[in-house]
Amino acid sequence: MTAAGTSEAGSFGAARSFFMQGLDDMTPPRASLPRRRLLRGTAALAAGFAGPWGLHHAWAQARAKKPLLIGLATDDTGQYAASGQDEQRGMRMAIAEANERGGVLGRRLEVVHADTAGDPAVAAPVAERLIRQQEVAFLMGGVHSGVASAMSKVAQAHGCIYFNTNSSSPTEAGKDCHRTKFVWDGNGTNFSTSVVKGAMTGFGRDWVLITSDYTWGRNTARGIRGIVEGNGGRIVEELVVPQNTPDFSAVLNKVRAIKPGVIATAVGGDDLTLLRRQVRENSMDRGFGWINNQQDWPDVYGLGREALFGIFGTTWYWGLGLAGVPEFVARYQRTQGDYRIKVPGNVFYNGYMATRELLRAIERTASTNNLKLIKELETLRIPALDRMQHHDAYMNPQTHQLQQTIYMAAYNDRPRRSDDLFRILGRLQPHEVEDRASTQQCSLESYAATPSYEP
Amino acid sequence: MDWLLALLPHLVNGISLGLLFALIALGFMLIVGVMETINLAHGSLFALGMYAALFLLAPKLGWFPELQAGYMSLPVGTRYAIALFFAPILVGLFGLLLELCLRRTYGKDPLYGLLLTFGAALVIEELIRVTWGSNEQQMALPPTISGAFMMGDLMYSRYRVFASGFAILAIVALWLFLEKTPYGAIIKAGAHDSEMVRALGIHLGRLRSAVFALGVALAAIAGVVMAPIWGIRPHVGVDAVVPAFLIIVLGGVGSLWGAVIAGLLVGLVVGLTGAYASEWSLMSMYLLFIAVVTFRSRGLFGKKSVLDT
Repeated sequence: MTAAGTSEAGSFGAARSFFMQGLDDMTPPRASLPRRRLLRGTAALAAGFAGPWGLHHAWAQARAKKPLLIGLATDDTGQYAASGQDEQRGMRMAIAEANERGGVLGRRLEVVHADTAGDPAVAAPVAERLIRQQEVAFLMGGVHSGVASAMSKVAQAHGCIYFNTNSSSPTEAGKDCHRTKFVWDGNGTNFSTSVVKGAMTGFGRDWVLITSDYTWGRNTARGIRGIVEGNGGRIVEELVVPQNTPDFSAVLNKVRAIKPGVIATAVGGDDLTLLRRQVRENSMDRGFGWINNQQDWPDVYGLGREALFGIFGTTWYWGLGLAGVPEFVARYQRTQGDYRIKVPGNVFYNGYMATRELLRAIERTASTNNLKLIKELETLRIPALDRMQHHDAYMNPQTHQLQQTIYMAAYNDRPRRSDDLFRILGRLQPHEVEDRASTQQCSLESYAATPSYEP
Repeated sequence: MDWLLALLPHLVNGISLGLLFALIALGFMLIVGVMETINLAHGSLFALGMYAALFLLAPKLGWFPELQAGYMSLPVGTRYAIALFFAPILVGLFGLLLELCLRRTYGKDPLYGLLLTFGAALVIEELIRVTWGSNEQQMALPPTISGAFMMGDLMYSRYRVFASGFAILAIVALWLFLEKTPYGAIIKAGAHDSEMVRALGIHLGRLRSAVFALGVALAAIAGVVMAPIWGIRPHVGVDAVVPAFLIIVLGGVGSLWGAVIAGLLVGLVVGLTGAYASEWSLMSMYLLFIAVVTFRSRGLFGKKSVLDT
């Protein structure tokens, strides 16, 4: 900053003295002003002002204006700690890139972070503190649906725009939707739709559900049940397990006794990792069709292929082979060299993309006013190439959930390298996996009922 | 008859789970019973045992690549045996250091000991996070105890059978140590009447150190055994300390067989509710606890305990 300031002052001083010299020359016979000298004077003035001023315009503005403070409320601890830390890195990378370009609307971006601990009881006060005391401009984060729901209620009460980056409960853009909340991940219904039909053909019509006993688990299981029964399948039994269950052996015994064709899990985070471990331990990964609704990259990275099984949905994979992906991966590797995960996954991607789109929307509207931004985001369309997916994505204005390509994947038994864990089996366009129930259940607050918020 | 056959795998699973719960509670029981200190760091030490075993199974010796390669060329079974033997010793030595801090709380309000061990639990968990990261880790297992085997129509995990067998061995070994050796007699005497033990010329400080280290080593043994089942993550200790506390209160503070029977009861209750009303599986052990403690506050086999005072 000091060097830039010096350079700016020096150039400005030189131009000014040159210009004054020209004025002195002009004074006696005004008509005799040599044209070449005038041109040189003007050029020097332009260089003095426009050169350094143009170069350092953004920084100068950023210094002058109040920084834009973004609140990252993510899980550092708890069941979803791995994903919480991953999405935070994605958000920070997008913010760092924007700052390298000079910030947004001439305002430097700053970050304040708080741990939501995967606990809704922690999340609501965290959101309250970030908005009221820290005065954040925007609130981002959320893997646990209870956490996302709790934060979004607080954000709506204040009018603060909240981006739910990675929580995929159908209720988030359904009955718990809010005018100020935008949901960036695919939801349980999107993912289930993508995998259920294929699994029914391959493994049979008798299904067992293993459901985690909280909002996301219950709602995702309900979504799966609807899709299975809608396609002629049968839910033989639903086994609901408490969150943080350390032992699934009793449930697995029960599954073995039932002998279903397919077992669909609506279990997330550490619980899913544990369930998968115990399925392997009991050699139950063979002989059944396993559907893991969504597979978050931080939960599987580094576990080794022998511990991974089943079919699942995902929004993005680093091995998609699309334009822009190698550059994105290279940027990731340059900036996240200290991180155990050596290639980006869906959670990082969601955090990055959501933040990038927020900052772009601010630039487009030239405003940080919440209502202007909400209206802008409600009409958002993102070209496939720009999102590094196969189909264009668009924001559903009725639910505020981003509609995007959903990929069906399984674990890769022929990896090109150790990080090549997923084999993409197919993909569906956003409208093919749309969660229509959410549209019916969501009732957004009116613009008038949403408090104005302009940081 | 059919219902009995249907029930059989759940009963077997419940007993196996109970033995593992009892194993987790042993170290906790020993420290509370002898030292009247509720060691809230038990869960973190359990987790530390897992990580110590992980290190011993696949050490990362950056400065000694040849040594590392040589060690890694040993069969997994050998490295697993080394981990199972040495990880508890390493964590037990760490326990000795912790006991040095704990000494200042002896004879004072039990709250001091509680606070110290609670603080230690947080520190150990953060140390683990800083050293190994917060992500889930996997422990390699020898092929002989991996996978599952069939017994009639029933399929069992080889590792669970091994772990349950190991738990039985550990329980019996601890019982033999406490009941059949002079050291066990001193420990029990120390728990019963520390003044008399001191009058007999036994150094009470050393006795307490030894008991604490043994309790910590038992927590680490449980950690090593449970690692392939529960997975290895920094906060896994929470899953251990809650049932351990519940089991020793349920069984009666200071009673070895009380802890074993309480562990089996908890395992059976959790296993059966997991099969027939899975959403109640965690709640069921607390309901059992409330039911027993309501009618017998000292637990099933408890005599006088610190909780009575």
